[in-house]
Amino acid sequence: MRPPSPSIPEREFALSALQQSMRIDGRTLLEIRPINLTFGPALGCVECELGKTRVLAFIDSKMIKPPEERPLEGIISIHSEISPMASSAYETGRPSDEEVAITRMLEKVLRRSDAVDRESLCIVAGQRVWHLRLTLHFLADAGNMLDCACLAAVAALRHFRRPEVEVVGEDVITYDPSERPPIPLAMHHTPYVLTFALFPFASTPAPQQTKLSSTHVPTPQLANSSITAVLDPSPLEASLLPSSSPSLLSLALTPQRELCVVNKAGGVPVSPEEFLWLVKVAEERVREVEACLEGGLLKAKAEAEGIGSL
Amino acid sequence: MEVDDTDGGETSLRSKITSPGESLTSSQAFMRGHGTYVEDDEVIASVAGTVERVNKLITVRPLQTRYNPEVGDLVVGRITEVAARRWKVDANSRQDAVLMLSSVNLPGGVQRRKLESDELQMRTFFEEGDLLVAEVQAFFADGAMSLHTRSLKYGKLRNGQLVTVPPILILRLKSHFYSLPCGVDLILGLNGYIWVSKHVKDNEQEGEEGFDAEAVYSNQNDEIDDATRAAVARVSNVIRVLAAHFVPLNDTVLVEAYEWVVEQEYTVKDLLLREDVADALVSAVATARPDL
Amino acid sequence: MGSRVEILNDGGYRSDGRRQFELRDIAIDLSRHGQADGSAMYTQGLTEVLVTVFGPREAKLRSQTIHNRANINVEVNIAAFSTGERRKRSRGDKRILELGAAIKSTFEPVIQTHLYPRSQIDIFVQVLQQDGGLLSAAINATTLALITAGIPLFDYVCAVSSGVHSTHAMLDLTTLEENDVPHLTVAVMPRTGKITLVTLETRLHSDRFEEVFRIACEAGKVLHEEMRNAIKARTSALARAMGEGHPAGAPSNREGDEDFEMGDD
Repeated sequence: MRPPSPSIPEREFALSALQQSMRIDGRTLLEIRPINLTFGPALGCVECELGKTRVLAFIDSKMIKPPEERPLEGIISIHSEISPMASSAYETGRPSDEEVAITRMLEKVLRRSDAVDRESLCIVAGQRVWHLRLTLHFLADAGNMLDCACLAAVAALRHFRRPEVEVVGEDVITYDPSERPPIPLAMHHTPYVLTFALFPFASTPAPQQTKLSSTHVPTPQLANSSITAVLDPSPLEASLLPSSSPSLLSLALTPQRELCVVNKAGGVPVSPEEFLWLVKVAEERVREVEACLEGGLLKAKAEAEGIGSL
Repeated sequence: MEVDDTDGGETSLRSKITSPGESLTSSQAFMRGHGTYVEDDEVIASVAGTVERVNKLITVRPLQTRYNPEVGDLVVGRITEVAARRWKVDANSRQDAVLMLSSVNLPGGVQRRKLESDELQMRTFFEEGDLLVAEVQAFFADGAMSLHTRSLKYGKLRNGQLVTVPPILILRLKSHFYSLPCGVDLILGLNGYIWVSKHVKDNEQEGEEGFDAEAVYSNQNDEIDDATRAAVARVSNVIRVLAAHFVPLNDTVLVEAYEWVVEQEYTVKDLLLREDVADALVSAVATARPDL
Repeated sequence: MGSRVEILNDGGYRSDGRRQFELRDIAIDLSRHGQADGSAMYTQGLTEVLVTVFGPREAKLRSQTIHNRANINVEVNIAAFSTGERRKRSRGDKRILELGAAIKSTFEPVIQTHLYPRSQIDIFVQVLQQDGGLLSAAINATTLALITAGIPLFDYVCAVSSGVHSTHAMLDLTTLEENDVPHLTVAVMPRTGKITLVTLETRLHSDRFEEVFRIACEAGKVLHEEMRNAIKARTSALARAMGEGHPAGAPSNREGDEDFEMGDD
């Protein structure tokens, strides 16, 4: 069952708050909810929390014979299904538009943009390659599942270690992690997804810019903007506009200012200047997300080594 | 269809052609009508068509569009659904029209109360697929039109065939019922649905006391001879050809076109199969017009 | 893989002989198509898309009606013979669903749906041939079909694909080029110059992105000119046909056309 659309006063309340650069959960317009990554216990198992949204990503690997047409590349497959567990809005069976959007976006971010070096997953050309299965479990939907799922998937790929193998003549020897340390995946780049909800009205500048936390990076400003953009939208914010598909802009980008995927399918029209401004904002904000992931990975590594040395 | 150079032809047109997003004029001096919207003090077209102006009101009339009903219009429609105390009627509009049980003539006198038994036997009056001619009575709040058949001229259609044309080709006239000299009756529905049928004599149409339920709701066609059948088919094909060439229709145009086809001794199907005949017919109608 | 082909040679020509910013030939056919209220056949190079529009009409399912505006339904079908390799895609294919969803959400804010409460507008997209720029061709064809159906729009939507080969931006890519270079699709509303749709699926540095993005925005306006000419030619041909066959005494009492100030086009 779809949740009923917000009532008119509810909508008016949230929209007029946005016009004054305030969000109903107290965040500023371009503020991401706190990110919390929980690694392990297994390698390649990560639970990502973005506010109350939770996604669990899990990676396992096995050796297979590669398909004829690509004998030199390993395979990455992504399995994701949004179950009613995440929210009563989802049903099993026919995928909703939102689910299609999320799986297609994951596919583009992780596979089409070549985040993982697939050639490094080849063991013996045409005979043996690694097959990585990335499974995403959507545990709770409190808005913006896409960003959360992508972060969980990327974190899992970075956290994952595959067993060391050696080719001796015709045989492939797989070493147990206790014999030789398993090795991380070769990654070309680490993409992060940031989603904006767009509204077709200008908002007054936020009143208290200085009172923000130390992690806050200065936001580039744009004069004469006729839109309001909200980063990391909540479900209510995504459904404020009277349209059956929310007006969203999703950007997948790396901290090196490379855009991997841009997806703005319709919705509120923006001028080219506004669009490029949003890209700049995302370039700034992506560093926060990167810091979260890198910090979490270091901590997870330290913990793993701590256990290992005991 | 031939597309000549637009620049040369445009001056001869009665009004200017516009398309969506084009600014027409300032909204301070003029009022916006259908086919336009206002943004930043400008009246902007939202459809492609001809710009029309009545005093301070600017409208853009699209050339191909669904039927836009007005109260009093005569329409031909087809029943799509039998619902509680009402029928749903497809009338080529943006929603199905509604024909209330209370808006039709019931058997046993025009001025009688609707009974529960009438509700139970609605399908004996009209059932799914039936064609009818009716008048637009009123509109509901959501813009759907309500029809009525409370006149002897209106009701179920028999003895002929339906031809559909773009609604813009049917002009609002005093009458939309015509009897052509060739023994064919025409009902030009303003929604672009045209009923072409065998001529029925006036006195047969009106029974005693002005109403004969048997005849009005009958599903039985009358005897139709071969000559009449050919005439009905010929008129229908003439309408199809003229509509394909976007010629506005009324009785004089159709009579003339029909006579031209008979004079030239073309068979009924020549009109549809031979493009040269179709083109000649259109130019015959066009050149003959000023003489009248 | 197409890496053997030179995407842009030293003389500045592409594999099919075009210059960097040259668009392929565009053919637009707006003649009536069966029972449809509006239709457009849009051909750009070897990419060919037929779009038919039905409605606004009564919604097929009561559950789909929206009480205060029209519901838009988009169905996309890609012909099995449209690519070099014959391939049947099922209707549930994620790529097709995404294409349909993109078209729907692109046109939802552009069509004046509030004029048609409880109605439904059906858009059927049939891809007959594909050689790059599928999404942009589908969007352009849909715009044209909606206009021929007389459905009120706020503006045209003109889409164009573009890409970057090393440091050179290019417009309107073929399949061959799409396989080799990062490419994006941009849809522009020409009156305001605003962007409704941007998609990019391959890695590109944001400085390069900005450059090619701006060029694509400009190209959208050029396409608008083509599309508008086609619409105007069709509309005036119909208006002329109506005028010539006009019965005597038909409404033509229009007075004072001189003082009617028109904005220049």
